[in-house]
Amino acid sequence: MSVYELLSEYGSRYVLALLTTWELTFFAAIISFVIGIVVTVMRVSPIKPLRAVSELYVQIFRNIPGASLLILLVYALPYLDVVLSYFACVLIAASLIPSAFCSEYLMAGINTIDPGQIEAARSLGMTFSQIIRKVVIPQALRFSVLPLTNLLVAIMLTTALASQVPLNPTDLTGIVSHINTHAVGGITAFMISAFLYCMTALVIGFAGNLIDRKVRLMR
Amino acid sequence: MIEIKKLNKYYGDHHVLKDIDLSVDKGEVVVIIGPSGSGKSTLCRTVNRLETIDSGEILIEGEPLPEDGKDLAAIRSKIGMVFQSFNLFAHKTILENVTLAPVEVLHKSHAEAKEEAMRLLKRVGVDSQADKYPIQLSGGQQQRVAIARSLAMNPKVMLFDEPTSALDPEMINEVLDVMTELADDGMTMMIVTHEMNFAKQVSDRVVFMDDGRILEINTPEKFFSEPGTDRARDFLESIKN
Ligand SMILES: Nc1ncnc2c1ncn2[C@@H]1O[C@H](COP(=O)(O)OP(=O)(O)OP(=O)(O)O)[C@@H](O)[C@H]1O
Ligand SMILES: [Mg+2]
Repeated sequence: MSVYELLSEYGSRYVLALLTTWELTFFAAIISFVIGIVVTVMRVSPIKPLRAVSELYVQIFRNIPGASLLILLVYALPYLDVVLSYFACVLIAASLIPSAFCSEYLMAGINTIDPGQIEAARSLGMTFSQIIRKVVIPQALRFSVLPLTNLLVAIMLTTALASQVPLNPTDLTGIVSHINTHAVGGITAFMISAFLYCMTALVIGFAGNLIDRKVRLMR
Repeated sequence: MIEIKKLNKYYGDHHVLKDIDLSVDKGEVVVIIGPSGSGKSTLCRTVNRLETIDSGEILIEGEPLPEDGKDLAAIRSKIGMVFQSFNLFAHKTILENVTLAPVEVLHKSHAEAKEEAMRLLKRVGVDSQADKYPIQLSGGQQQRVAIARSLAMNPKVMLFDEPTSALDPEMINEVLDVMTELADDGMTMMIVTHEMNFAKQVSDRVVFMDDGRILEINTPEKFFSEPGTDRARDFLESIKN
């Protein structure tokens, strides 16, 4: 089938698939950034058990393959009487793994902060949580804009895990399988999805660069 | 104001502060001098517990320093500290550097904190830079902002750890002038410095440290004309050249 034929037959499905990918990416990004920040605060906290747990968390989710995690969520959780929707399973898998990377990038950002600033904050009577919120996180985020932008693209690509479970509407990768089981879309069906992934990634990258230029700290 | 009794501190096996006894009265300016590695910075930093101690006691206005938590933070807010490397918050403007702690710690309103900050920035002569970021200021200006930032907490004592050592020579005086004014206004101060003329001018007492011990506490007149120990005499000789 030509691009034209594919689009006239499956155009609206592609739109839905794109929206599904965006939706998964959007929510996975929010969840993974929130978890990433929380885990990072635990990693720098003065409380040892918190540090140990958060380090373990990062090690686990940085190293587990997405497909394995998805299989665990879909097939193992029901044994614990936890039955989640396929959408939720994909969302969780595409959130937990990037959250570990998010924390790694934030830690790298934190390590660029001069410890003298932390001492100054302590000497002014600021508490741990005030220092984290007002001095550490704002600077760590500024230094992490570009890595986090790349992470956002990686999150989008991770949501292709959705093609491994029956979702309706399916995502940009799922729709390729769908078309190829119902018609002969061939490589063209795939190219359309790839094009949409690429365009989204370009927009994300562009926005990331803009933000970075705006918030970057001169040294 | 500050009483330090029989203080000992170790870094591992290294005994860095040995039986330190020192008190600083209200309104007094105490200058600490001594060779590199003698423990001056460490002593300064134990006073607001940036460094823990192994034995002995530190009393602030008669109360022992709390171990940690909110009580410690509250005491620290009353003890200003100025560092060799300024340590301004890089992501905040000059004005925000000065207002952050009063808003967060003292729960002042933004308007009140800002007004007070502008007054202090004017006092140290950098009010025209209020909207810039630290990196855009000279070292001398940054250090004056750091002093204003400490003053904004309305501290009872100010600790200075070699506040001019990281500065180009032509900027040293602008910072020392601000400190001299503070001293004249009656601020209680504990100052580690290598600026001997300044020490002579501003101090009520000079503390000479060597190898973790206080070897001599004296008036500046006495100390600089006839130091009581050979070590102090050698030290004064060595820095003359
Ligand atoms: N964090 C640390 N860990 C281990 N040893 C340290 C630490 N900080 C300082 N020391 C050691 O403690 C001793 C006292 O150091 P301190 O910085 O107090 O000296 P100082 O008198 O301020 O010297 P300077 O004039 O060079 O600033 C030195 O021998 C130093 O090497
Ligand atoms: Mg020192």
